[in-house]
Amino acid sequence: MARVEQTKLQVLRGAVQDNFDILHGIKTRPTTETPRPLRHWLWGLLLIAGMAYLATPASVVSIGKASAPSAPAPAPVVTSGRAAGEPDVIASRPQPLNREVFPLSLKRIVIDPGHGGVQTGAVAESGLTEKEITLDVALRLRRLLIDAPFEVLLTRDSDKTLALEKRVEFANSNSADLFISIHVNWMEPRTIRGPETFFVGPTDDPLIMKLVSMENRDSKHSFTDLRQALDKIYIDARRNESRTLAKTIQGQLYGFLKQGNAALENRGVKTAPFAVLMGTQMPAILVEVSCLSNSDEVKLLTNGEYREKIALALLDGIRSYANNINGLQRKGT
Amino acid sequence: MEESNDNLCVGIDLGTSRSSISASNGERYVIDSYVGWPVDMVARKLVKKQVLVGREALDNRPMLELRRPLERGIIKEGSQKDEEAVQEILRHLISLVGVKQKSKNRPKVRAVIGVPAEAFRVSKQRLRGVMEGIADSVMLVSEPFAVAYGMEALLHALVIDIGAGTADFCVMQGRYPTEEDQRTLSNAGDSIDEQLSKLVAERYPEAQFTIHMIRAWKEKWSYVGQPQGRVMITTPVKGKATELDITDEMRAACESILPPLTETMLDLLSKVTPDYQENVRNNVILAGGTSLIAGLPEAVQKYLGELGGGRATVVKDPVFAGSDGGLAIARDASPSDWEKLSLV
Repeated sequence: MARVEQTKLQVLRGAVQDNFDILHGIKTRPTTETPRPLRHWLWGLLLIAGMAYLATPASVVSIGKASAPSAPAPAPVVTSGRAAGEPDVIASRPQPLNREVFPLSLKRIVIDPGHGGVQTGAVAESGLTEKEITLDVALRLRRLLIDAPFEVLLTRDSDKTLALEKRVEFANSNSADLFISIHVNWMEPRTIRGPETFFVGPTDDPLIMKLVSMENRDSKHSFTDLRQALDKIYIDARRNESRTLAKTIQGQLYGFLKQGNAALENRGVKTAPFAVLMGTQMPAILVEVSCLSNSDEVKLLTNGEYREKIALALLDGIRSYANNINGLQRKGT
Repeated sequence: MEESNDNLCVGIDLGTSRSSISASNGERYVIDSYVGWPVDMVARKLVKKQVLVGREALDNRPMLELRRPLERGIIKEGSQKDEEAVQEILRHLISLVGVKQKSKNRPKVRAVIGVPAEAFRVSKQRLRGVMEGIADSVMLVSEPFAVAYGMEALLHALVIDIGAGTADFCVMQGRYPTEEDQRTLSNAGDSIDEQLSKLVAERYPEAQFTIHMIRAWKEKWSYVGQPQGRVMITTPVKGKATELDITDEMRAACESILPPLTETMLDLLSKVTPDYQENVRNNVILAGGTSLIAGLPEAVQKYLGELGGGRATVVKDPVFAGSDGGLAIARDASPSDWEKLSLV
């Protein structure tokens, strides 16, 4: 009994101190040991990851004419926690926007056309590049959103090279409320076609892991870094909003594009540790609007009307999501 | 510690859907977290009040500008009106336990308020601001911590407080919980309502219902696992009262919170020192209105079985567990503690 009273006293002291700190604007005291920057750990893991990758049989994914990955090979994504003492390399980078306690008010969205400049992304047999499609769709989307009750910013509006970190930084520094990264897939077998939408989270799907390594190849962070950051934000509140946004966008995109394109497959909503989804502080998704590996899709993508259709579908998805969170009182909704 | 007629200790569980208060004078109340202002002169004449709170506001909603000012357990951001509404709820709760704000003999009110486990500091500061003029000293604690304190489950326990807006998790390890010991999820009662509404609309496209009806159905028939019987509701279809079977929809909606719930539970359990993980698994405490879903403790226990076994129980009084815990904290805090946390 005395022990219970003693524990009560101890936790009560903690509660009072915590409140006192908040009252006087004192930053919360660190309660756990600060991870030490054990660089050799990281290099060790990278080495193991590289060896693991080299030992992996040829992937089911082909990158076609797309340039070969220049970044270190990915380690398998695992969802277990960090080993004790493992470095917390970029764990402090994502500042979680806690959606449970701060309801989202949609004022600004950032559209991120994937790749650009020297980073062509996937390339179709015909020579059509991912970077062209993503920029075209993003520009169309910006035009369609001109009367929207929220501001729309693009990470790039021309064919320029832009590091993944810069895209993340752009969205964060502009205090965006949503981040939508547009990409075009390349998958084997080439009969695969249809959109898929990702939000941050782990995956053990080898197909998705390969895709992640392709899309993350321009990131300065290693795959181990990303995995560690993922461990940190796995249960992050931001995921709930990102999941909702992903579901809404995917639903609209598939529903819209399926009309007149019956062979289209709904590849659904998935989780994956894309670099742009890891560092952004707001609900964020990466949408693969089509497949450059599928010749029928390439034909459609060369048609401006089809790209407009994609932009319209994304518009509807954003509008539907915005209506849910901003209410119907806003103009244009 | 100090109890006198000059001081009144209260514990408040400020919930998205319902708010409860427990006071040291023995009074306890629970109200719906709704506030409404008459929309015009006519409405004001009819309701005969400047502002209505709780059930009264809900019942008179056609005549009111109705607010449910707490979203996910905290004041909605960016709206002065919602801040005023929260103030009205708190003022109302304090008045219910017998405090007359303008009375000369008004006791000093020492309030402990439960907030979501991962509430932002700025949100807490806002809440303190709202309490000015209502209480004299305020302490904000996480909701599951308040529950744990009230039950004296301070060592090797995992409290999961599932309300309407949030599900809050807190591992108690014999010390004041840190950020690492706590989690907040938005998969809670409201997300079940949304799911249920969507599923019923999909199955019965012509059925007419409101979110208030959905909540009422959920409160009456929610379950996970095996149904005890068919869930039959009566609602208008093309204006005609019709009986509909929503057994499967109810189950699917209620079970939608299980994956994030178990996922988060595992995440927190894995962070406990291995020596004590079994102790914690055997002391999982469910609280909050949504913990009343039939079959929920069994479902959690089944999941714990996959982790090596464990025990999940629902608190005896889920509605007041948070406010009773807050009251226990308020009573145990010393006068000097309260002095430190004075609003004046």
